[in-house]
This record gives sequence, structure tokens and C-alpha cells, in this order.
Amino acid sequence: MDVQFKKGVLKLCVLVLLDKQDRYGYELVQKISNQIEISEGSVYPLLRRLTKEEYFTTYLQESSEGPSRKYYRLTDKGREYLQELLQEWKDFSSGVNQLIKDGVTSD
Amino acid sequence: MTKNQFMKELDLSLKGLSSNERQDILQDFQEHFAIGVEEGKTEEQIADSLGSPKHIAKELLATYHIEKVETTATTGNIFRALWAVIGLGFFNLVIILGPFVAIVALVVAGWASGAAFIASPLLVLVNVLFNPRTFEFFDLFFSIMLSGIGLFIAVGMFVATKVLTNLFVRYLKYNVSLVKGGLKHD
Repeated sequence: MDVQFKKGVLKLCVLVLLDKQDRYGYELVQKISNQIEISEGSVYPLLRRLTKEEYFTTYLQESSEGPSRKYYRLTDKGREYLQELLQEWKDFSSGVNQLIKDGVTSD
Repeated sequence: MTKNQFMKELDLSLKGLSSNERQDILQDFQEHFAIGVEEGKTEEQIADSLGSPKHIAKELLATYHIEKVETTATTGNIFRALWAVIGLGFFNLVIILGPFVAIVALVVAGWASGAAFIASPLLVLVNVLFNPRTFEFFDLFFSIMLSGIGLFIAVGMFVATKVLTNLFVRYLKYNVSLVKGGLKHD
């Protein structure tokens, strides 16, 4: 799929994953790459950017096995932004779906 | 690529960032490798899925430099941010540099005309020094009026320069989120 397109959607994916619970970086990367083909390293720059823009806060938490993990938590600002992106995505995808449906039936 | 090779290359490519920032970024990837190994992956597999450390560094650098411009918009900072964003892809040269040149031209032209207006009484004086006979009060008053307009232009340009700088930084940010970045099939 188009690279630029995917990159825009990546932001939405990260925000959605953090809506219900806090997660650590590795977990986010795995969840996304299970569904979409991405180069996993690009998730980290995105996480840093969104943290700096105050959509997330981060905290360290010990884990039962291995080193402590950096968790990301959605802020109120992040949650608002997520709603905005979700609405955009819904409008966009329903528009495209409609076009596909029309295209299939009319030809 | 092993973990050490990956970390070394990333560290080298992040030159220019503060050591705090760099440590923080490296820590994120240390964590990623550690958890991956725990789950039974080899370092090579993990590095492979992460993609090129150089490319990851480019994205991080672009964000960093833009952020610096936002706090202190010196000419040097703007150029570094510009350069970092252009570095994200060849295509950007046109998309980024075009608007940049246009904005700079606009700002320079505005300041130049403001300065020329303000200085116009001086030109009348110089003219009088060389050709005293051609002096007319009309010239003097007219140039003083121009000088006043020039002051307004200068004030306007001061505001315009700030606004344009802000707009351009936003445009750079928009590009960082948009341009071809570290996704597969580049």
C-alpha cells in the first residue's frame, strides 16, 4: 500500500491502541505489525513526537521478567485528538467504500 | 545486523542531538531488543523488522530540529530544521525548498522596501548636497511622508516575518508526518 497513506494511519493505530489501556513500546509495535506491514523502527519516532506534542505521558514500570518498561498513557488532549482522527477516518473510509460499491454495480 | 551493530549505527546517526535525548532514544531500543529476545527472537530478526537505523535517526533528527526552531527561531536553527526535513527524502528538495525560497524572497523584499522608504529623506539631503539648485520643499515633505510609510512597513514586516516563520515551521511539521518515512517498500 502507499507509504504516505500508511504513515498517516499509523498515528491513528497508536492512539486507538492506547485508548483502553496503557501499553509499552514493544507491545504497540507488535500489535500494529501483526495487522499491517510496517518497518517497526518508525513507530518509535512517532511515539516520541506524539509524547512531545503532549498526546501521551510516559512512565517506567518494573516487569516480572526482564528490564523495566516504558509505558505510554493517553492524555485528555490525546483522547480529543483520537476522536478527531477517528471521525476523519470514518468519513474517509465510508466515502471510499461508497465509491467502490457504485463502481462495482454500475459497470 | 546484531543488536550492537544496530545500536552503534543509530548512535552515530543521532549526532547533533543532546546526549540526554540520545540516551533516551537508545534506551527505547535497548528495551525493544531485550523484550524481543525474551520472546525467543534472535537479535538479527529484531533488527531486521526494525528497519534501517539511519532512517529511524533521520526522522528523529527532523523532529528535534523543528522543535528547536519552535522554541528559538534563529536563522541557524531554521536552516538546520530545513536541512533535516529535506534529508528525509529526495523528493522533499522541491516541496520544501520551493516555498522556503518564496517566503525568504517575500521577507527580504518587504524589509528592503521598508528600509528604502525610511531612508528616502536622506536621499533628498544627499541630492541637495550635490545639486543645491534642484532643492524643492515638495521633495523634502514628500520624502518625509515616505519615511513615515516606511516605518509602518517595517512594523508590518516585523509581524509578517514572525507569522511567516511560524507558518513555515508548521509546514515543516506537516511534512515530517507526511513524507515517505521508515515504512517498508520505500
